[in-house]
Amino acid sequence: MSDTSERTDDAIDTLVSSEYAAGFVTDIETETFPPGLDESVVRAISAKKEEPAWMTEWRLEAYRGWRAMTPPRWAHVHFPEIDFESISYFAAPRGDKPASLDEVDPELLRTYDRLGIPLHEQAMLAGVEGAGRTPVAVDAVFDSVSIATTFKEQLKDAGVVFCSMAEAVREHPELVQRYLGTVVPRSDNFYAALNSAVFSDGSFVYVPKGTRCPMELSTYFRINAENTGQFERTLIIADEGASVSYLEGCTAPMRDENQLHAAVVELVALGDADIKYSTVQNWYPGDDEGRGGIYNFVTKRGACLGARSKISWTQVETGSAITWKYPSVVLRGEGSVGEFYSVALTNNLQQADTGTKMIHMAPNTKSTIISKGISAGRSQNTYRGLVRTAPNAHGARNYTQCDSLLIGDQCGAHTFPYIESRQPSAVVEHEATTSKVSDDQLFLCRQRGIDAEKAVAMIVGGFCKDVFRELPMEFAVEAGKLLEVSLEGAVG
Amino acid sequence: MRASTQGPQAAEVLYARLLGKGTYSYAPAIDRDAARGCIAADGLPVFRAEAWKYSNVGKWYQAALAPAEAPSVGETCVPDGVELHRFDEPAARPFLADHLGAAIDLARHPLAAVNRILLGSGVVVRVPAGRRIDEPVNVDDIGAAYEHILLIVEPGAELALVETPITATHRVVECIVAEGARLMHRRVQPRGQAPQCGLIAAKVDEEAHYSLWLVARGTELRRNDIHVTLAGRGAEAHLNGAWRLGDREHLDNQVTVDHLAPECTSRQTFRGVVGGRARAVLNGRIHIAAGAQASDASLTTKNLLESTDAEVYAKPELEIYANDVRCSHGATVGALDEAMLFYCESRGIDRDAARGLLLRGFLREAIAGEEAIGVLAAGFSGAGEPLGATPAEDVASAGGEVQ
Amino acid sequence: MPLLDIEDLHVQVEDQVILGGVHLTVAPGEVHAVMGPNGSGKSTLANVVAGRPGYEVLRGTVRLAGEDITQASPEERALLGLFLAFQYPIEIPGVSNMEFLKAAIDSHALARGEGAPSAAAFIRRARATAERLGLDAGFLKRGVNEGFSGGEKKRNEILQMLLLEPRIAILDETDSGLDVDAMQVVAAGVNDFRDTGNAVVLVTHYQRLLDYIVPDHVHVLAGGNIIRSGDRTLAELLDRDGYSWIEDAC
Repeated sequence: MSDTSERTDDAIDTLVSSEYAAGFVTDIETETFPPGLDESVVRAISAKKEEPAWMTEWRLEAYRGWRAMTPPRWAHVHFPEIDFESISYFAAPRGDKPASLDEVDPELLRTYDRLGIPLHEQAMLAGVEGAGRTPVAVDAVFDSVSIATTFKEQLKDAGVVFCSMAEAVREHPELVQRYLGTVVPRSDNFYAALNSAVFSDGSFVYVPKGTRCPMELSTYFRINAENTGQFERTLIIADEGASVSYLEGCTAPMRDENQLHAAVVELVALGDADIKYSTVQNWYPGDDEGRGGIYNFVTKRGACLGARSKISWTQVETGSAITWKYPSVVLRGEGSVGEFYSVALTNNLQQADTGTKMIHMAPNTKSTIISKGISAGRSQNTYRGLVRTAPNAHGARNYTQCDSLLIGDQCGAHTFPYIESRQPSAVVEHEATTSKVSDDQLFLCRQRGIDAEKAVAMIVGGFCKDVFRELPMEFAVEAGKLLEVSLEGAVG
Repeated sequence: MRASTQGPQAAEVLYARLLGKGTYSYAPAIDRDAARGCIAADGLPVFRAEAWKYSNVGKWYQAALAPAEAPSVGETCVPDGVELHRFDEPAARPFLADHLGAAIDLARHPLAAVNRILLGSGVVVRVPAGRRIDEPVNVDDIGAAYEHILLIVEPGAELALVETPITATHRVVECIVAEGARLMHRRVQPRGQAPQCGLIAAKVDEEAHYSLWLVARGTELRRNDIHVTLAGRGAEAHLNGAWRLGDREHLDNQVTVDHLAPECTSRQTFRGVVGGRARAVLNGRIHIAAGAQASDASLTTKNLLESTDAEVYAKPELEIYANDVRCSHGATVGALDEAMLFYCESRGIDRDAARGLLLRGFLREAIAGEEAIGVLAAGFSGAGEPLGATPAEDVASAGGEVQ
Repeated sequence: MPLLDIEDLHVQVEDQVILGGVHLTVAPGEVHAVMGPNGSGKSTLANVVAGRPGYEVLRGTVRLAGEDITQASPEERALLGLFLAFQYPIEIPGVSNMEFLKAAIDSHALARGEGAPSAAAFIRRARATAERLGLDAGFLKRGVNEGFSGGEKKRNEILQMLLLEPRIAILDETDSGLDVDAMQVVAAGVNDFRDTGNAVVLVTHYQRLLDYIVPDHVHVLAGGNIIRSGDRTLAELLDRDGYSWIEDAC
């Protein structure tokens, strides 16, 4: 090829190869269980959390179920067998749970500061970024425990419960007992069963009847300790006519070993309720040779139990060495709505097998799936989705659009939709396309004076637009930046 | 007797038979060791395995142990210029040595391995280089429960094949389409009873062209594995299929198009109408290998679901390892458009006739020709005969002839 | 000093020599037309000057205002003031015209050592310019060339030219696929753009654009070389007699 085209390649090659910005380790004294899992470990976790007997029993039953299960193998991902006996199932900063932010170890506060997570309500309310910015309540989970939850009082005034899962088990046992495991049963799959046995912390949200949650809620998950799995559990309940928007972020230090993250998220929407769940997943993806990184094996599912309820998942997945994740909606309420908007970007040796399940079990239910997969480097990126209409799902409607964008010729982009239809009046539509960042597009941008790095980011941003517009404003900006960083060094 | 052998037990009995000692009564010179190796290594597919998610393979094992009826021998006509050799004739040997199994990965198609071991009848159909045959070759049943048809279309040659497997428990059609050759393959599968599986495997070389035209009804369990390998630069494949199922018909089409070489093109168009308590499955996989740049591949499947007891499973797949590609797939499942029906009715066409008209139009997007429509309409009788000829149809076809 | 100076330019594409020693000098304030039959190398010339990948310069130099840009990257050339209006404008789905133009204008401003214009100022200017070209406000919000008609795409190229204010604009077959009304709008845009400090090179097959944009010099490119140069009467000659006499001349 010509000199100029070599220069194109060079220009792209020299894109600054920036480090994973969240990859630092917090030096803090940690209490960690020895590796390995048996009933005594399950009991010990439960005891740590001062749980009532019913919760301990619930865990033990999950544990016994898990023992008899095997890891799923159908995903389009490859990795060595995980030795579940070499993982530690609990890690927490030493000391008692701080009563207020003033008692939190300053080292931890600095960690969240560095990650840009606001834990000081005052700072948030002062509105550093000027008018128009609404405060976001944060639950910060560090390894296996929640270290702080902000704006609890204000939320309490509105009747909204936002606390750590451990606290919910103690303070709101009736709600937890009623809903925990109803959307994702303990026996659902291997990783969900494991989570049910050993789940550490996570967030609990209850929005009462007719209440619109006055601010965005968010949880920030941080894995810090070495050789530790993180098994958080989130349960969000929107009672009749309630609505809530919830954001989730996650990071981990750069380590050469793979670390397991097996979370379960359950959403329950009663009649006319509305839950919007947004994730920017930026777990450490491993280095450019594929060393280290998080195994992100997550079960996320929502149940639209009431009529006209709505659950909307939006995810931007740029991190993790391996992602295995299918945020789903079971549409049981008549006229209920499920949505899934996803951007999944893989670079270097990352592997992602992600998508959704929309299970239509009631008349006039609707679902929309928009999935944008971007593969770069030597990565493999798979969309896997199920749309099922049950015989009683009269008038159900699904629309699915799956697009893949390839950058470079060493990566893979795969689309595996499953359509299972049993109701004649239901309409299911699926479309998928594959394209690449074309030389012509790059040349047009460069002829107009836009350098290759910016041009690629712009083209990818355009490709993802339909998903980004579903994200809350601040997240959308963060997501755009994250894509740019994740793509660095991708073209060449 | 068949009813007494449950699926899992049948699999065990069959497995033992496949790997047991014994001599082969038919064409013993044919190599069965590789096939036995595959079965020994991987076993037989189990119920609910991913590839058999929607079809109960156990039913086929039962049929495999006790074929329902004696295999018949149909007519196989070969026009001038085409060679025909039975596998057990000495004349077949060089062709078998060169080509048998060249298009088939037995590890991926375990039932084809079963076919190889239990093979009871096979024919080689060969068109020498550069010969263009105008008249189609017809292959009906060739007299065994396990059949293999090996088609060799040599460089630059052209052939049309029409095949109608009726009684075989498993048929392999292997197509070797050499450089610049063309093969037009028509498969017609009328309504049947007994479980029946088969593999169509085509290897398409440089600038060669393979097209498949599949008109299918179901049986208690019918599965077509179709595997097209675009092995040479610029090769092309066009796969079209139409099915119409009712009662308890079951049809499972598992299609893979492998783009192994650059600049190949594939087009897949499928239409299904599914009613009664029938089940239709389409798994349509497009695979683009690393290095197969400038591939152009697409698949569309549309399905009409006519009853709440019927089931449609559509699984289009893209698996892509090259970046300079144009690939897409689309799938829809739904009912006939009420607005279209109303439009017809408002013009004075009664509802049944309107349905017939619209269904014909729908199926024709994949397969043209009244012969196909006839196969698909057979058995849908009475007022609900939506595919039967209507006066409007006669007028249309008569008009066509006049012009 | 000439704005554009092409000297003995030899170019090959996929082992085939397309240009075999082209000379062309364009001074400030001038309009040049490069004409020629299909396959004569016109588009190659336009693209290679803009640094499009896929063209191999075997020999010769291209200078922009005295600076050798033969090996420069496309964006370096652009920032030095070279603009190419594409024969086939490229689509970039999801990226709005506005976003695209802002990115381009910002990087030009940055290269000149200026700050990026404010969003409000930019939007005002972009809207006013679009209006002049008969493009409504909604046009700027649509994806770059996504679903545009042929005429809209070409007008979009002129819009970009007017906003980026290059020193030398090369218009590659900008007249193809335009009806008379659209051509007049495009020509008015180009005439507005012209001043004593910049220059325009029109690459075209037909004379008709030259009725609206009057060239100072006309060159005939055939078989990879400029075989004849003259004033606008040469274009009229081509219009009357076609290109067949050229083929004889080669």
